[in-house]
Amino acid sequence: MKFKDKLKTNDFIITAELFPPKGTDISGVLERAEIIAPFVDAVNITDNQRASMRVGSLAMCAKLLQKGIEPVLQIACRDKNKIALQSELLSASVLGIDNILIISGDHPNAGDCKDAKPVYDLDPVRLLKAARGLEAGADLSGKPLKGSPKFCLGAVVNPQANPDGLQVEMFNKKVEAGAEFFQTQVIFDAGAFKKFYEKLPKNGKIKVLVGVSLIHSVKFMQFLQTLPGVVIPESVQSRMLGAQDPLDEGIKICAELIKSLKSFAHGVHIMAIGKEEHIPKIIEASKIQEELN
Amino acid sequence: MKATCGAQALFIVGCGGCAKKCATGDEAAILALSDSLKKAGKIVLGTVIVDSACDMRLLKRDLLKNEAFLKSDKAVVLACGAGAGALSALTDKKIVTGLNSKYLGTVERANITHKFCGVCAQECVLNETAGICPKTRCSKGLISGSCGGYANGKCEADIMKDCAWCLIYNKRK
Repeated sequence: MKFKDKLKTNDFIITAELFPPKGTDISGVLERAEIIAPFVDAVNITDNQRASMRVGSLAMCAKLLQKGIEPVLQIACRDKNKIALQSELLSASVLGIDNILIISGDHPNAGDCKDAKPVYDLDPVRLLKAARGLEAGADLSGKPLKGSPKFCLGAVVNPQANPDGLQVEMFNKKVEAGAEFFQTQVIFDAGAFKKFYEKLPKNGKIKVLVGVSLIHSVKFMQFLQTLPGVVIPESVQSRMLGAQDPLDEGIKICAELIKSLKSFAHGVHIMAIGKEEHIPKIIEASKIQEELN
Repeated sequence: MKATCGAQALFIVGCGGCAKKCATGDEAAILALSDSLKKAGKIVLGTVIVDSACDMRLLKRDLLKNEAFLKSDKAVVLACGAGAGALSALTDKKIVTGLNSKYLGTVERANITHKFCGVCAQECVLNETAGICPKTRCSKGLISGSCGGYANGKCEADIMKDCAWCLIYNKRK
């Protein structure tokens, strides 16, 4: 079933993300994509994540499609002006890529090219509207298109940003602009997400995929703590610090989180950041957890 | 100093407006520049502070009949780009900009200024954003609302800086 159709069901949805390499050797990403594909509903390809230059999301998504894997194209507003952003959307459609996740993108300050010009010519709300405009047959200047695209549009929201009311406001703006599904910033506390989730308007149509991550080492946990908007509860920190096998403990933590989210959330988006080969193990473990209960 | 190369006789133009408030185009700034130019072997033929260097009418009145200005090889302008550009448009004389203006500043007190407006002349949103400009004050210049990277009201790109959208959100409440 296509990702867009799956969003219309009550099934628990699982997506995962892969990041393209810095360089032209994409074999590792394709291998990992094939490992995770049977376990997920779509594979999301990041767009120069952490403002670090890599192979483009569009090229990697096209490669996934060739392998019969359904991709989600991430588009960051950071690097392109409104001409390039609209063109990217049309290019995606021409290549058969319909699932688009629109993000603002980490500021260049976070990356390896700190003096790069932060473009943000359109912000996510405006880009969502522009995409819907293209579907309706016109570009931002009102010029008619010869052939219109059709998208499944997603956006992001951060449940643990403070003040959270501003994120609720942004959720509503993005829904109004055309978002059909949401991906959240990584969370490690199902309760904290539930608290936020209860503040969102419920119309049953918009699906929120909760961002979860695999902490594979203590060092990686410390890195995650430096990311904007990531909160790791003390209980998770002490489990990782005391673990004899941190990778195994990380898999258990992630599986338990997915299991607890299954009782009320629409789905999860797994960000295993370089350790995607363990995603099948996480998903299997979350199912075993569920059966045990 | 590099921009004055090839010129021996110079004229210094200060500005009585913003540059005076910032102490970069006032009497003291002119005196300091004049001393360094002299130490570098240059001759300062004269100086003047125009009430507002960005006003071409005042530049015409104060400079175009000023003999020292007319005799100089180059004029050093201690004003923003609007002032230097105005003088450049009025005369064939070579203009040297003596300042590197950062932004249109809001003055809080001496030496404390803020960038609250980018003078972008494009769909001003201040009426919708509680008078706080997100184009100027959000590190990403996001017009429709915040990103998800702020933490406790601070910006993801600079934790010393308030997130503009948090300021707007709190002011609207």
